Amino acid sequence: TRPDANLVSPGTNLLFAQSGKIDHIPLDGTNMKKEEAKTVIHVPDQVVIAVAYDCVDKMVYWSDITQPSISRASMQGGQPAAIIIKDLGSPEGIAIDSLSRNLYWTDSILDRIEVSRLDGRHRRVLFDNDLINPRAIVADPANGRLYWADWNRDGPKIETSNMDGTDRIVLVKGDLELPNGLTFDHHSRQLCWADAGTRKVECIDPYTRLRRKIVDGVQYPFAIVSYGRNLYYTDWRRESVVAVDRVAEREVDQFLPQKRSRTYGITTSFPQCPEVNYCSSD
Amino acid sequence: DATVGSSSDCKPCPCPSGATCAIVPKTKDVVCTNCPAGTTGKRCELCDDGFFGDPLGTSGPVRACRACKCSDNIDPNAVGNCDRETGECLKCIYNTDGFFCDRCKEGFYGNALAANPADKCKPCSCSPYGTVDRQTTCMQVTGQCQCLPHVTNRDCGACEPGFYNLQSGKGCERCNCNPIGSTN
Repeated sequence: TRPDANLVSPGTNLLFAQSGKIDHIPLDGTNMKKEEAKTVIHVPDQVVIAVAYDCVDKMVYWSDITQPSISRASMQGGQPAAIIIKDLGSPEGIAIDSLSRNLYWTDSILDRIEVSRLDGRHRRVLFDNDLINPRAIVADPANGRLYWADWNRDGPKIETSNMDGTDRIVLVKGDLELPNGLTFDHHSRQLCWADAGTRKVECIDPYTRLRRKIVDGVQYPFAIVSYGRNLYYTDWRRESVVAVDRVAEREVDQFLPQKRSRTYGITTSFPQCPEVNYCSSD
Repeated sequence: DATVGSSSDCKPCPCPSGATCAIVPKTKDVVCTNCPAGTTGKRCELCDDGFFGDPLGTSGPVRACRACKCSDNIDPNAVGNCDRETGECLKCIYNTDGFFCDRCKEGFYGNALAANPADKCKPCSCSPYGTVDRQTTCMQVTGQCQCLPHVTNRDCGACEPGFYNLQSGKGCERCNCNPIGSTN
């Protein structure tokens, strides 16, 4: 292994967690450049679950469930710094609103969703009711919406609210079992999820509520991210990253890391923030 | 560092056989990158999520990593089900609790080890009127709540025969009916 493990090539990368590390896979278009995959964050004593990326400061954020914490590090080679260490149970999902500079996270032991500034200050509980096993959470800053999934076996659901917690609505209920992974595609405005119970990847337009199956018969998806025409999900059973073409509705590629163990959170990192028509960037 | 040109430039990885290693650029820390299956950590001394043990014997005898042992009272879709070293169960379900999720949590009773989740742990549901100090806990196995004087039933929800006024919250009072004028 090369020792310069922190440098990131230009362009878009996939970032995914596996045990005590976060690896990146450079993308050429939507193709995974598997031979260039390498570890960018080493945190060997942690169990990293969620991964998120802030395209403004080019920082990667992650959650650890062993000494429950949320940390961040610069992608240009920075030391990991913990930003939330107190009052955490099991932080399993994190989302970044790159526009308003807020961090959102789910906690499946405290059963709540919280928000803070990106440095961990001004922390506030957003929701502490009707949550059993909240996990995946994603933000859509352009429309000011937050989406999260709860894999409660007695009533799994996908919910949405405004970024300040107002207007909370159940968006998906029924034909859901273990919606572990969630991603929002800013381009097509589709919310997609991966379900380890129904073993399907599905998408919904949150505004028209049109729901569409992308693939079925998947093994054990944990997290998912959308990029271009592809969806990439981590899978506990396959211990890999699987690429799905959501237009052709079929699996197109797989990355099997050298280390054999479960793969957890996944996200993308960009050299620049994607251009979106914001009406409130003041 | 292979560029210095001395015979000691490259050192063997301080990792179990088969594992590769890397140097973290900022800290110059050496970390194992490809630990044997089921293990992780800087020196492959920890167990993966969902497993527990002490694979290198860092704090005692070597204990290979084994799957969390939680009496079938954990959810396989959860993360962090047990402490990676001690095996202490951290995410018991079905209202169970304890190191191995092997007993009912406070306020519940029954058999945490029953095969069917519905038969495991039921709420004590002690009657607030009939229970000492309005306690919400009960005996682990039988579910008997601690009743006030002359109060009966598992949940302390009734007066003994010949007693009345459970609602008083101080126990039941003797009926004091005249035996001559009363039926039953």
